[in-house]
Amino acid sequence: MELYIVNFSMVLASFLSFVSSYEINEVIGAPDNYVIEGKVFPPEAVNDNSNWQAETTVLLKGGHQMGFIREDGSFVISNVPSGSYVVEVFNPNYMYEPVRVEINSKGKFRARRVNYIQTSQVIQVPYPLKMKPMSHARYFQVREQWRATDFLFNPMVLMMVLPLLLVMVLPRLMNDPETRKEMEQLNNLAKYDMPEMSEVITTFFATGDKQKQKSIKSAKKSKQGSSNN
Amino acid sequence: MSGHCVHVIRVISFLLLFKSSFCLYEDQIGKFDWRQRFIGKLKFSVLDSKSNVKKIFVATEENVVAALSMKTGELTWRQVLEKGPQGEIKFMHADSEVITVSGNGPFIVRGWNLANGYSHFEWNSFNDADEPHENVLWTYHHGKLYKVVMLDSQQVARIISYNVRSGGQLAAYTVNIPGFSRKCKAIGINLVCLSNNGELKGVTVVNSQFFNLDVSAETKGANCDLLSVDSSSDLPVLAIGCKQSKLLVAIKDNTFKALSETVPISAGVSVTQHVSGTHLIVLSKQIDGVIKVNGKVLETDQPVEDIQSSFQSSSPFSDIETSNSLCTLRRDRSVYCQILLSTVDHSIIFAQTSSKIMWTREEALANIISVELVDLPVSDIEAAIEKEFDNKEAPVDIGVPSGFVGMFLRRLTSQLLQLKSLLLTVVSLGESVEKNGLEVDLVRDEFGLHKLIVAVTSVGKLYGIDNLSGNVVWQKYLGEMETYKSIDKPVVSFYVQRTSRHLPYPAQCFILGKHKASDESMVYTFNPINGQPIGDGLHRLGYRAVQSLLLHFVDDQFLKGVLLLDSKGGLHVHPESQTALVSEHAKSIFFFTANSESGLLVGYTLAHSSLEKLVASEVWRIQLSHKITGLMSKSPLERVHSQGRVLGDRSVLYKYINPNLVAVMTQAEDPIHKNVLSIYLIDVVSGSIVFSIVHKRATEPIHLVHSENWIVYTYFSDKSRRTEIGALELYEGKTQSNTSAFSSVASFDSPIVERQAFILPAGIEAMKETITEKGITSKHILVGLNSGGILEIPWMFLDPRRPLGDIREEGVIPYMPELPLPAESIINYNQTLHRVRAIHTAPSGLESTCLVFIYGLDLFYTRVAPSKTFDVLKEDFDYLLITAVLVGLSVAAYATKRLAQRKALKQAWK
Repeated sequence: MELYIVNFSMVLASFLSFVSSYEINEVIGAPDNYVIEGKVFPPEAVNDNSNWQAETTVLLKGGHQMGFIREDGSFVISNVPSGSYVVEVFNPNYMYEPVRVEINSKGKFRARRVNYIQTSQVIQVPYPLKMKPMSHARYFQVREQWRATDFLFNPMVLMMVLPLLLVMVLPRLMNDPETRKEMEQLNNLAKYDMPEMSEVITTFFATGDKQKQKSIKSAKKSKQGSSNN
Repeated sequence: MSGHCVHVIRVISFLLLFKSSFCLYEDQIGKFDWRQRFIGKLKFSVLDSKSNVKKIFVATEENVVAALSMKTGELTWRQVLEKGPQGEIKFMHADSEVITVSGNGPFIVRGWNLANGYSHFEWNSFNDADEPHENVLWTYHHGKLYKVVMLDSQQVARIISYNVRSGGQLAAYTVNIPGFSRKCKAIGINLVCLSNNGELKGVTVVNSQFFNLDVSAETKGANCDLLSVDSSSDLPVLAIGCKQSKLLVAIKDNTFKALSETVPISAGVSVTQHVSGTHLIVLSKQIDGVIKVNGKVLETDQPVEDIQSSFQSSSPFSDIETSNSLCTLRRDRSVYCQILLSTVDHSIIFAQTSSKIMWTREEALANIISVELVDLPVSDIEAAIEKEFDNKEAPVDIGVPSGFVGMFLRRLTSQLLQLKSLLLTVVSLGESVEKNGLEVDLVRDEFGLHKLIVAVTSVGKLYGIDNLSGNVVWQKYLGEMETYKSIDKPVVSFYVQRTSRHLPYPAQCFILGKHKASDESMVYTFNPINGQPIGDGLHRLGYRAVQSLLLHFVDDQFLKGVLLLDSKGGLHVHPESQTALVSEHAKSIFFFTANSESGLLVGYTLAHSSLEKLVASEVWRIQLSHKITGLMSKSPLERVHSQGRVLGDRSVLYKYINPNLVAVMTQAEDPIHKNVLSIYLIDVVSGSIVFSIVHKRATEPIHLVHSENWIVYTYFSDKSRRTEIGALELYEGKTQSNTSAFSSVASFDSPIVERQAFILPAGIEAMKETITEKGITSKHILVGLNSGGILEIPWMFLDPRRPLGDIREEGVIPYMPELPLPAESIINYNQTLHRVRAIHTAPSGLESTCLVFIYGLDLFYTRVAPSKTFDVLKEDFDYLLITAVLVGLSVAAYATKRLAQRKALKQAWK
């Protein structure tokens, strides 16, 4: 097999006719050596000062062979024997999807999507490779900012607002006879274990001024009772 | 259907958990981490004088092409070429662009942009079938690249010239060089060869004009070599280096001109242009750690006083290997030179004559082979308190009387010291911060996060690096010591014999290496805090050690001994004073040796040794059928907190935690199954093979992590062409054989082995598990990817018990073949790390936090908290809010109390 060093403009050559558009410069007798070509597209938001070309590298076979990027984003990986390889593009700030390039013994190229689970699945992608950035790499967690909803759902706030709601809304609900019935039932259920606790606490905290407290409490109770009725 | 849905939701929620469990906030960049980028040992360098921002272009032995800023020495750009011989840089030239020739076989010629390192062009040069790959020389002249292939058999050199940008071949011809075999160099446009009888022959590659020189008698016949001299001028100069000295020869108008004076072999020589067509020759020498520079005019031999200078720094310099200089004339006709020096300990020094050293780069750090994180000593005040409670040290501090009076005095002094330091911190709160920035305060902090990284490099240079700032605290070059080779990697035995916890004894480290000139082993014992030798320091042992072992008990000075097995089977203890102690513990000392080539493992015991003599007697012997390529035991620091795991039915599955278990990897080429990878789990005390597994068509890179009751290994599957991760987990079963301690000798049925394999959609360069002080925190696995990122994978994802079907268990995620690679779990975010060699993890004083040091071509330090920092308040903890809420609540409580009182009063009046 002969080696073709290919000198060809990727942008102009249409994909279908690329075999015929080879311009053979030189034929050297080294067997089974091919050149993988492609172009890495810059992230859209890139500004001119950024050095993305120097930061981006193209790896073949996990770094066994490498391609470096020119100013326009094009790259070549030379000395590739026939076989199946994964071409990966790495940039510290952008993610690129890898592509599997297969070169058969006759020197035909095929590029397809990498699928590590169904390794035989073929979804072709154009060759010469066009590597477009998938997304900006999000390495960082976003710090939570102050928002009204966050504030409202804050447990501390909820702790204060919910009882308030209960105090304000529940008495109104109680006016409805059916719900009142239901609530009473619920209350009965709840009473089963709940009042014990409060009683325990009141007895526990009962001190010298028991009398006073009791009087206040009874007053409160009577008031509540009246409102309930 | 709904069950399936729940399933999916669970998976998603776990993924969310995975994402949020550990990642940085953007404002935490550089807060806990630092990165340092290196280039490796200098091979070629060009000082650039033309461009506005002055740069130095370098190519190194690590296959790196880079531009350094002349002012600061920092990297302007860097391109890391292929690993190993494939990317080896053979030639570099820089004028309008940087041209490199790399590779070994087909050579790759690349052109780089001077300013930013973009690729300009790339082409290949293939060798003909009869051309050897080793003996190829390159040179560049006026847009043409010349390739000179030395054909030994025909005694000719084949010269091919190329158009450097396109790679088009322009001309090819051969020249006869009879009698001149291997000692050839391409210098400028000349090919120069040195014959065995001391004759120098040159040929111009452009027009094949020959010229000869009979070198002076002193170099004749001796074992001399041809060396090229870095020359940034139009005058090519070369040196004939013999044992002690070298002779400089200049090539001018197709004739050789030998310079009158010989210079010592270890002197750096460089030639630069000078006024009116003359040239300056700049010599730099290392004498007693100081670099002395002098220069003279090459044509007239007249010394130039202006550039005579000497440089020194806090640590002594070692011998100079190469030098490169650039001299300029000031307005007042005085000359000053900028000199780039590369020394044998791989550091790069850039200096200006009659001034000072501009910067140095410690490039030995690009080749770290072993690392320990050492605890720092406590501060003086705390040391005084410790002393007070430690009665054992009473004879050490003589002068202070013992008894209760002495105790009382000591208490008073230490408390006075405490008071003084408190006052000092209060008074100079602002100043002390500034002071800390300047000089490193090497004192242990309360959480044990501040440690010293002690690194051993392949060149034999040791470094102490502050883990918080990344500054080199001390450095020490062990010139006589070199590393051993084990499975094609340089290794040294590096142990911490005593930590800094045992006051007043200093911490002590131990390094075992090889003597450069002989076969003997060498030991260096030193204090890791300052690098100073302890005891004998660097010394030869007088025998060749084949195995070393850090003992598990300490002597009365809290020093752990090192047991050494020499090549004749004799045993030695280092320090020797511990021999009696070792024989006391002999019954519990077992060790093993492994021969990687023959695959033979032999286990020994010391049980048969007497008090006078230590004897190692063989207990078991395992002959593996293939070459051993990896051997992994558990970290001796590791602790396992939970003894089992709770299953869905509330029963406990006990872990098989065998501290003596070692995973051994063998690789073999097989005609049918291609590459066969076998992993054996061997109990190295009893010699029983606990478990073994074979993978067919599994190739490099292979990495293995062994911890607690599990093993995780990765390989590249040739069959499915992807990286696969295998996980093994060992369990004793539902009952525990011995609840208090594990015994290798007690009979025990082979453990239950759970196994599973996963796909990782990336290449792997290194792998390591996190480690924490008590082992309560869950384990994560740090994976160095070939993209330059370090991925943190929770062990939960590699759990072999991840169920395949609908069976659910607590804390187990359903199985998915492909592991996710979320960007959030890349712990080094966009700080790409090239050629990660290994990851070192160490526990900190906080149970939640694990310190991580990653080395390779670049260094990176950070800390990870696999189960989040549950034991410290988050750094963004809102103290203000909590104070405001507390104050608000108490005010409200007080106010409502008053209000309630008033209401009660009113009600009472009603």
